[in-house]
Amino acid sequence: MLARVADDLYWMARYVERGIAVSRLIEVTRHLELDVGVEDSDFWGPLVGAVDLSAEDVSFFLLSDRLNPDSLVSCVRHARELARGIRESITSEMWEELNTLQQSLALPGKQRQAQGDSVSFQRQIRQRLQYFQGLVGSTLAHDEPWNFLNLGTYLERADGVVRLLRRQAHLLAPRDDEEPSDADMVRWLAVLRSCGSAEAYARFYSLRVEPARIVEFLLLNPVFPQSVRFALGAAEDALGAVAELRSAASNDPGPAGRTLGRVRADVEHVAIDEVFEVGLEEFLSGVQGSIARVSDEIVATYLRDEPQPSRLVGVARAAQLMAAQQQQQ
Amino acid sequence: MITQSSPLATYDPTAFWDEMFSAPGVVRPHYAALARRLETLSADEVTRRQRAADLSFQARGITFAVNQDPSGLEKIMPFDLIPRIILPDEWKRIERGLEQRVRALNLFLHDIYHDEKILGSGLIPPELILGARGYRREVRSVEPPLGVYTHVVGSDLVRDHRGDFYVLEDNLRVPSGVSYVVENRRVLKRVWPQIFADYPIRPVEGYPQDLLSVLREVAPPIAETATVVLLTPGVHNSAFFEHAFLAKAMGIEMVQGSDLFVDDGTVYMRTTSGRRRVDVIYRRVDDDFLDPLAFRRDSFLGVPGLLATYRMGRIGLANAPGTGVADDKAIYAYVPTIIKYYLGEDEIIPNVKTYVAADPSERAFILEHIAELVVKSVNASGGYGMLIGPHAPKVDHEEYRRRIRADPRGYIAQPTIALSRHPSWSAGSLEGRHVDLRPYVLFGKEIRVTPGGLTRVALRAGSLVVNSSQGGGAKDTWVLG
Repeated sequence: MLARVADDLYWMARYVERGIAVSRLIEVTRHLELDVGVEDSDFWGPLVGAVDLSAEDVSFFLLSDRLNPDSLVSCVRHARELARGIRESITSEMWEELNTLQQSLALPGKQRQAQGDSVSFQRQIRQRLQYFQGLVGSTLAHDEPWNFLNLGTYLERADGVVRLLRRQAHLLAPRDDEEPSDADMVRWLAVLRSCGSAEAYARFYSLRVEPARIVEFLLLNPVFPQSVRFALGAAEDALGAVAELRSAASNDPGPAGRTLGRVRADVEHVAIDEVFEVGLEEFLSGVQGSIARVSDEIVATYLRDEPQPSRLVGVARAAQLMAAQQQQQ
Repeated sequence: MITQSSPLATYDPTAFWDEMFSAPGVVRPHYAALARRLETLSADEVTRRQRAADLSFQARGITFAVNQDPSGLEKIMPFDLIPRIILPDEWKRIERGLEQRVRALNLFLHDIYHDEKILGSGLIPPELILGARGYRREVRSVEPPLGVYTHVVGSDLVRDHRGDFYVLEDNLRVPSGVSYVVENRRVLKRVWPQIFADYPIRPVEGYPQDLLSVLREVAPPIAETATVVLLTPGVHNSAFFEHAFLAKAMGIEMVQGSDLFVDDGTVYMRTTSGRRRVDVIYRRVDDDFLDPLAFRRDSFLGVPGLLATYRMGRIGLANAPGTGVADDKAIYAYVPTIIKYYLGEDEIIPNVKTYVAADPSERAFILEHIAELVVKSVNASGGYGMLIGPHAPKVDHEEYRRRIRADPRGYIAQPTIALSRHPSWSAGSLEGRHVDLRPYVLFGKEIRVTPGGLTRVALRAGSLVVNSSQGGGAKDTWVLG
């Protein structure tokens, strides 16, 4: 398929997934505010890495600020613009869903709703974006374009959950008093809900909600599709299917494949206490950095078709190193 | 036969040729079944169906961007529910007439780029041909596959007050609108399926497959299985929807200039698995923008080196470069001469009488009678750059006189034609609106005319301009089998 089309598919999927994540975050924070009360702490500022911003400002910024490229309405707009340029490569169902969603946002009634009843506004948008993801699975052939869409969806999801854990770490931090209060419980559940994972967590552990288990669940669970480990595994499958097409003859997975394989293995083969031994923030920032590198390498290898260093370079370097080591012995 | 309460009872066909009525209250026989259907519906019901159709176009993004609107807004082409119906015999004549015309124009193009026999014949002033903006010396002596230059043609037909068909102009470069032919049919079937029961209507859905066959036929002989792509200028082009529609229906890649490159006499596209050879380009980009090395150097829409590859016979281009000379509006005046010269036949569908300003005596006539004529720039399209004398104020007459004197080669004039009208649904009642007809002609190994075509309708009361860029809409067009 055309490299440009693959590029647009990849980013379209990322914007759809990003929109879903932003939408959840807004909804959860609104509920948190209602349950715990605003005097107690600032829930909105940390979402955008700032202090002294009003809840209205932050929620507007995340929900409907057209100048914020990652706001919910911007995500929908970007995804729809990309879809329009490649509408011949996606199914009519997919295109019409994004097109009518974007059109509905432009209606005056919708804009009023965004201000008045922002919770149901963003919930409706999220449901339609999730519906779109369902259409991807059910209307598009599961071949190369589908793999690029999955690559975008799952890398974005892994990145989003890692990012969220970093931003919400303060909600999980232990407090001075020994016994967790109801308010603590509410905060912790909010972290799970931000990833759409509260029900799955309850089912999986059927135990008290505890911060360390929450991190374990969101980071390391092998079967729940919102966990980082699951998302990285799915991204690796998608990339593997694409790489197979490109270099069927060589046993080299390419730079993106190597980086993704390493970070996926790091997450797959770590125990939760080891994560905290390293330090949660440090572990998360390492994972996030790798995901960003994978994305850059995918873009360079598949989407921009930049010239790749010949495999001979790698083999020649290996021979040099081998010779040097033999001399040392 | 029409009851007093029906919306048809008050319809006034006036002095124009009306496609549906032969006199007030008298429906032409082939429209009788449609009239009966219309009578069973209340105005509200028709309006409801109209709204459902509009929503469907909106949801599916069947839109065009208006050329000169800098905001890049997308609009839907207004769709009029009442279909136009063409009788089999009428259609047969149109078909034969267009086939004759397209065949002659391709012989003409081949001649002027090879033997130049017609230049010495004294029938057409040679400077009119060699000085045409669409004439491309770069393709002289290049032999296109099958000798065909215009693989896709959309000619505009009009009907005068007697109901006779005329060719108003030919579009031989990158004619657009065929996607609406298919989509209008699909939408009308969805919102008003009942009316299809009464008529044997020839289908139009085969167009993309017919087009694909033609495109495969113009592949260079070196290609065993031809890779065909559609080249679009991009999402800002007014016909972008159509490009996507056709690429999808044909199952081929839709590429932009930046997706293609030329290496060692071969055109490639950039794919996720490296370069892939391209054999045929259905290009929806004008000659001017096709190759910055050969034509406009500031073009980002084309592919550097494409024309050189074409000259070597290593890439098929549809339509071929250089066809613009034959749809120049001054050359148009000579199409009956061209048909006679190459085929030895009289034209089946006549031209509209045309005065060429490059000719001194015809220029004098135009300048004197400008208030009665339609003046057109020879290179403009889409309803731009024209003067409708009877409707224009005196200052405009003066302005066009000035322009014609300054650039006689650039203008032609035609008598105002009383375009035929067709009942159209307007704000709750049936109103007569002027229409034209653009059938589409495909030319590969043989010529095929898609049954029907695009009926464009000037939705503003009294307006004669049917172009979508000027507030025109469209109708589904039925050719009866």
